[in-house]
Amino acid sequence: MAAHKLHFSVLLTLSWRNLWRNHRRTGIMLGAIAVGVWAMIFMTALMRGMVDDMLSQGIRNLPGHIQIQHPDFLDDPSVANSIAVPGAEFEALLQRLESKRWTTRIRVPAVIASERETRGINLIGIEPAAEDDVSGLPALLSEGRFFESPLDGGVIICAKLAERLETRLGKRVVVMSQDPDNNIRERGFRIVGIYRARLPGLEEFNVYAARDTMQRLLRIEGRVSQIIVVGEDYREIEPLYRQLRQQAPPGLQVRAWYEIDTYLAAMFNMMDGFVLVWVIIIFLALSFGLVNTLVMAIFERVREIGLIQALGMRPALILYQILMESTLLLLIGLGLGNGLALATIIPLQDGLDISVVAEGMAMMGASSMLYPKLTASDLLLANSVVILLGVLTSILPAWRAAKLDPVRALNST
Amino acid sequence: MKSVVLRMAWRNLWRHGRRTWLTVGAMIFSNSLLVFSISLQFGSYDMMIDNSLQTFSGHIQLQHPAYLDQPKMRYTLADIADNAQQLRDELGLETISARASGFALASSNERSHGIQLLGVDADHEPLVSTFPGLVNEGRYLQSGAREEIVIGSILARNLRVGIGDELSFLGSGLDDSFAAGVVTVVGIFESGIADLDRIMAQVNLGYFQDSFAMQQAGHSIAIRAAHIDDVEQLMARISAGLDDPTRVVARDWNELQPGLRQAIQADMTSAWFMYIVLIVLVAFSVLNTQLMSVLERTREFGTMMALGLKPVRLARLVMLETGMMTALGLLLGIALGGLITAYLGVVGFSYPGMAEMAVKFNLPERMYPVISPLSLILGPAIVALGSLLAAIYPALRLNLLQPIEAMRAV
Amino acid sequence: MSAIHCHQLCKTFHQGDEIITGLDHVDITIETGEFVCLSGPSGSGKTTLLNAIGGLDTPDSGEIRMGDLRIDQLERGALADMRLHHIGFVFQAYNLIPVLSARENVEFVMQVQGVAAAERARKARAILTEVGLEGLEDRRPAQLSGGQQQRVAVARAIVSQPDLVLADEPTANLDSVAASHLMGLFASLNENHGITFVIATHDKRVMAYARRLVKMQDGKIISDEAQ
Repeated sequence: MAAHKLHFSVLLTLSWRNLWRNHRRTGIMLGAIAVGVWAMIFMTALMRGMVDDMLSQGIRNLPGHIQIQHPDFLDDPSVANSIAVPGAEFEALLQRLESKRWTTRIRVPAVIASERETRGINLIGIEPAAEDDVSGLPALLSEGRFFESPLDGGVIICAKLAERLETRLGKRVVVMSQDPDNNIRERGFRIVGIYRARLPGLEEFNVYAARDTMQRLLRIEGRVSQIIVVGEDYREIEPLYRQLRQQAPPGLQVRAWYEIDTYLAAMFNMMDGFVLVWVIIIFLALSFGLVNTLVMAIFERVREIGLIQALGMRPALILYQILMESTLLLLIGLGLGNGLALATIIPLQDGLDISVVAEGMAMMGASSMLYPKLTASDLLLANSVVILLGVLTSILPAWRAAKLDPVRALNST
Repeated sequence: MKSVVLRMAWRNLWRHGRRTWLTVGAMIFSNSLLVFSISLQFGSYDMMIDNSLQTFSGHIQLQHPAYLDQPKMRYTLADIADNAQQLRDELGLETISARASGFALASSNERSHGIQLLGVDADHEPLVSTFPGLVNEGRYLQSGAREEIVIGSILARNLRVGIGDELSFLGSGLDDSFAAGVVTVVGIFESGIADLDRIMAQVNLGYFQDSFAMQQAGHSIAIRAAHIDDVEQLMARISAGLDDPTRVVARDWNELQPGLRQAIQADMTSAWFMYIVLIVLVAFSVLNTQLMSVLERTREFGTMMALGLKPVRLARLVMLETGMMTALGLLLGIALGGLITAYLGVVGFSYPGMAEMAVKFNLPERMYPVISPLSLILGPAIVALGSLLAAIYPALRLNLLQPIEAMRAV
Repeated sequence: MSAIHCHQLCKTFHQGDEIITGLDHVDITIETGEFVCLSGPSGSGKTTLLNAIGGLDTPDSGEIRMGDLRIDQLERGALADMRLHHIGFVFQAYNLIPVLSARENVEFVMQVQGVAAAERARKARAILTEVGLEGLEDRRPAQLSGGQQQRVAVARAIVSQPDLVLADEPTANLDSVAASHLMGLFASLNENHGITFVIATHDKRVMAYARRLVKMQDGKIISDEAQ
């Protein structure tokens, strides 16, 4: 109705001008809100970035979003529990998946011996063409070359392992493992590539060989240990997961990353809770000042409120006007805070170097570069909490102002 | 300080009771949160360190200088058992254990796996490491026994062996000879740390030394201190007694597990970032309140100055008022925070997802914050400091006041 | 507007332990177009009576009737509406909203009433000219003298043609010149526009303008005479 529109514009004028009556107080409050909102968003972006990094790293080390294997493989990751390479039908299914990124792997415990030393390792047979998507191994190579075909006769080992074995690129090593009949199988390999592990830890014990070569070595032609599927986004693999569960050949176990590594799953789930708690704590700290500011502003205007009531403005409109004032304050503060957050996050897009605590980060599964990650949902959460709870907190003082007795108000000093 | 000034300051605070309470309220909120959080942190850091170190590494280890970076068989300490005993006598500590370690291939009837074989002193190892206590099937090694082995639960599963089964192991001795033997599984441990349960196996030190042709040598002497605070002192005493740094060095847990200290530092840094934000917000609140309080008394202050009071006295009055407010916030905040923390210290505290985190960091599934004088006071003290600093600007503004203009102010 | 009938109005106030009688069984009738002065010392009840008639305050007992409407029985919202559409108030001080200019203050009531912008502006300009404040429309109250502020208040009080204007000590803060200007304005509005005026005052200069003088003391009407 036209009348309501007119109400709105006079209320808005009053609210805006009232805000600036005491520009120091308003300014300080805005400063507080800006700092609070900045902290909400900035801290959240950093934490998200770290957790995202942890999860990406972790998932790349599993590897994959979804793993398909023999049901007994988990308990007994030996060559006995291998599965068939995907047949035509299954392969067609995998090709139809939206991600189209999948590969097979062989994984067995083995022993590697150089001239000087011997070590226990995980021997991993990979399909060279697909590995990049799945584990990013080619990018980690620091010396030598990647495999050129599934029949490549080389191994790729970690730099740390090379050190332990007192060997280097180009030298020969002997790899020993078992075939399904428990016979020891061994073969000499040349070290064709050396990679640097992203995180210190157990990656060091991964030794890579070409898949078909390994199949021959272990006498498991046509078989693999795992099928690894990578989706678009680790946060949204449910549809993919369900599809695979339904349509994978029977007798195979299908597991999603959050089942494979419960630590990663816990981190993932915890983040949202953490963000909410942090946002609420900041808001609560701000709320005291917010209420105080509003109460002070109302207190200074008691006579005026009495006047406005005498002039015939209904109590509800007085309530609205004060809420509007508070809302304007919050909106401006939010604008400043968001702006400040962007201004501090964007320069850090290339990462914050925290290598001074690299090993500590590695303990948690994170790398030594911190990349902030600003998500729409986090932004929405912070802004909504501030605006909604802020208005909610303002209701009580505003309501009490509206309920003032006009005579008493007019006469107050 | 004159009591009239104190009374004045106090009463000034309560001229606007609600405003004062809201400001104090912000302090109480922040202080309680800080007390709880800092208590939790301090308690859990200590626990994390202790648990991690107790698991295996101990607080201090004596090693060959090159052993840390390159744990190779040939970097040995001579006469390790005797030296360990000597150390026990000198330091008066029983929690000292000698160890030797080597890679071997363990084979059961059906499977073979690479393992990290450890030769340990069955009498003293349980005093240094929690592993012996984590044996949940069978028993730990008997002192002096020979062909006994204790393995991890995942290894047992992978090798498909149980208590009483035999394993053969094959490795490379100190003189590059074959180290081999057949042992019986007498115990299976489960630490919850998959990597260890999959790889570690323990036999008696003497048997290990014989198998691996080490004579009397070993690789490390692990020492567990009674309390983490003792480590520095112990290090000093031990290092003083070592005469040849090319043959043996003492390394404390910072070197043995650099990640531990760093993880704690990283956590502390991020926590303090958050604390500082809280403190800044409280300071804003105090600034606002005190600035308003000063401005609305302009006329009054003008009158007082006309009567002869110097601005400095007025500034002191404002700081005194701030101080009282801050003291109130401090005391009530410590009280409330202390109560909540004490309650949670008994009842325990956990949040969803904590259990999985706990395993990674050697922490229990429920956390019990521990109050200490430092954890009670640290946070609130800094809040108080921030608040007092915030009030400096309003107090200083008083110096700009001119009496006549002030009295005319509206 | 019909006549206002007040019957046996009583109102007491509590100040600490004391009980103060505001109105003590007051009966009064005010006809349309009258120019009434309520006079008496402080505490005589004239402000209380004014507030009661204006619907700002509800008496403890008694009736206030305007035509068929029982004002003393209306709830807050309805009282606000009544004030909005039918009554103009002029107080002793603090009549204006500090953050609005003179023109905006005058337009304020019309805005709340829902009058369109163009008409509001026209009426505001006209009334401000009528009270002699042409050229000062965009000043804020802080930039106007006491007398000018009162005239803005009057302009606002009458711009939407209320039936009744209630003024409480309107000249208390004014010098003689300003006071007589203000009263002259009231008188002419009363004659030319037929607006009923009820003015509470103890200023003799004001009482001289009254056509009916009601003297009050201790909450009672002690005399009620035409002048």
